[in-house]
Amino acid sequence: MSMIKRSSLIAIVVITAALVGFAYFTSGDLGNFGITLLSGLFGGMLLFLVASGMSIVFGLMDVLNLAQGSFFMVGAYLAYDVQHPGGIFQIDAAIPDPNVRFIVAIIVAVIGGAILGVILERGLLRPLYARPVFQLVLTFGVALVFLEIIKFVWSTTPYSWTEVFGVREGFFTLFEQRFSSYRLFVVFIGFLLIFAIWFLLQRTRIGIIIRAGVEDSAMVEALGINVRAVFTLVFTLGCAVAAFGGAIAAPFLGASPGMANAYLLGSIAAVVLGGMGSYAGTAIASLLVGLASAVVAAYSTQFLNQPVWTSLTPMLLLVLVLLVRPSGLFGEKR
Amino acid sequence: MTTQTSITTQIGKQAQNPLRTMWLPILVLLFLIAFPYIVGALTGSSPMGVPRGDRMIMRGESVRWQAVFIELFVLAILTMSYNLLFGFTGVVSFGHALFFGLGGYIMGLALEYTGLNTGTAILVGAVVGILVCGVLGIVMGLVTLRLRGVYFAIFTLAVSELFFIYFSRLALTKAEDGFAITELPTWFDPSQNRLTYYYIALALFALTYVLIRRLVNSPTGAVFKAIRENEDRAQSLGYNTLTYKLLALFVAGTLASAAGMVHVILNKKVGPEVLSSAYTIDPLLMTIIGGIGTFTGPVIGSTGLHLLDTVLREATITVGGTTIDIANIWSLLLGVIFIVVVLVFPQGVVGTLMRWRNTPRKRTEGMVKGKQVEQT
Repeated sequence: MSMIKRSSLIAIVVITAALVGFAYFTSGDLGNFGITLLSGLFGGMLLFLVASGMSIVFGLMDVLNLAQGSFFMVGAYLAYDVQHPGGIFQIDAAIPDPNVRFIVAIIVAVIGGAILGVILERGLLRPLYARPVFQLVLTFGVALVFLEIIKFVWSTTPYSWTEVFGVREGFFTLFEQRFSSYRLFVVFIGFLLIFAIWFLLQRTRIGIIIRAGVEDSAMVEALGINVRAVFTLVFTLGCAVAAFGGAIAAPFLGASPGMANAYLLGSIAAVVLGGMGSYAGTAIASLLVGLASAVVAAYSTQFLNQPVWTSLTPMLLLVLVLLVRPSGLFGEKR
Repeated sequence: MTTQTSITTQIGKQAQNPLRTMWLPILVLLFLIAFPYIVGALTGSSPMGVPRGDRMIMRGESVRWQAVFIELFVLAILTMSYNLLFGFTGVVSFGHALFFGLGGYIMGLALEYTGLNTGTAILVGAVVGILVCGVLGIVMGLVTLRLRGVYFAIFTLAVSELFFIYFSRLALTKAEDGFAITELPTWFDPSQNRLTYYYIALALFALTYVLIRRLVNSPTGAVFKAIRENEDRAQSLGYNTLTYKLLALFVAGTLASAAGMVHVILNKKVGPEVLSSAYTIDPLLMTIIGGIGTFTGPVIGSTGLHLLDTVLREATITVGGTTIDIANIWSLLLGVIFIVVVLVFPQGVVGTLMRWRNTPRKRTEGMVKGKQVEQT
């Protein structure tokens, strides 16, 4: 990730400028423009939380985890359940303060995601390292099982977040337009995590092992390092981060069975656009995909009256990237 | 080396008297031809339905089971086409519903939106649908099959989701509600003359089975299997593997679209659910559970799972005082069975049985390693 090619940099700058410029000239006033930008960053950060784990796991273990979006969904449902009265976790009597309960909700979601991640890697993927095709197919099956369990436990009706708490309700006014401070909060958390994971990868011993494993995991193993343990750790962290993403997205997006697929495809688009296995690429590409979705959403609802394009954007981007430059912004030529 | 032996044994089998090797499929075919009459005789209902005035009312056990079996043929064709890709050529697609649904949509559009008379519309719909799906398969393959790894799987997943969402919102085809197929030629109409339609679906099913068997046992099929085992080796032997993969994709796409057409005409309705991931998941699960890379596996997988689904639809189980409808947890059960099969019996039902029959002594050893057995 230290070798950022000049052409990639130019491409990133041009795409960002084009998106921002398009948003600016079609939005009319600065207030709408700001909303588009903020919602783009918000969506991009959520995508990053799903895509980062997917990308590092792919780089390290050559497993494309098609269940990654499901962890996002599971995180959202767990957080919703903890926060709201009358679910599996009935703790609203024990912890009356909704702010504290939200923190508990996030912790429960992260722990839930981590436990499921360990089970998936240790129990289901580990026996299949000799058969990579079956790993891919298995994660697809696991995504189905997660979805069906969610539908069985919480029914198919989408939940929308009703509980009021501190950050969720705040607003600030800029350019005569009200902005939700929760979105800003999520963007802030996202940047924090981008930095935290970067720090983990670049400045710690375990990070060195992970980066070496991405280059050549057999060589790392030959050096006497227990690569399998690192696999489990990274996979679990990736799942926990995705569940965390679901938990902090839930106050805004609610919880619905459709989340898993939407975020799976969005983050696949980000991972491929960034170049598979490249952390920096994934971070930048997540923001670009989020921004593109927001710009398309703003434009299509305002001018085309065709909101369908919003949900199509990640897929169209993915198809476009695979057509034009399948190695992505930072990937090696394949 | 294992590829070589499998090719020679397959060719050796083919040279024998077809009655000796094909007795089971032929027996099954005879049973399926007689099936509506057998059910009719057992339950005392007419396989034609009940006449009322100059129309036939589709009522009675025989007619009901015909519908179940037509749906079964649809799933079996879809699963066999998926197996051709995944099982024999080693190409993983997560977008098979795209071909299925697009075939259905094109047939529906031809019948309802072109204003042609119904007979011509069916012909036009079939030809256009099959061509579009075949060409689409080739185009998708050209874009991503040159890249190794997961790109093709990702691409198919994205494109099928793209079409699903687009058709879910498309006002022309009545978005999420879908549109009904109102008029069909009387002899072809499954709600007028289901017995004929049953035999058409059966013929298509039998043709698909024979086609895939012939194709895979041909020299072309040997290259398919070589690609599955080791693409680099196949390439270094001088085969243009991309062309072969595109051929497999073309055949699989056309067969899946034909299955979609049979499906929408049976239900007389076209909606976005034919493009939904259910029609990707079903053939994938049925292929792996039945036995990947075998001829009978997909048929047995889809038969078993579809019949279980039909029978268990009204059943309930009681766990600790709460009653659960099987229909609600059917997909969950399928998913769990799928995971268990992938982990413990990667050869599926047919593959595992074949291995037990072929190498009884090495059974335990092979099971522990869980490796692919290529002798079958």
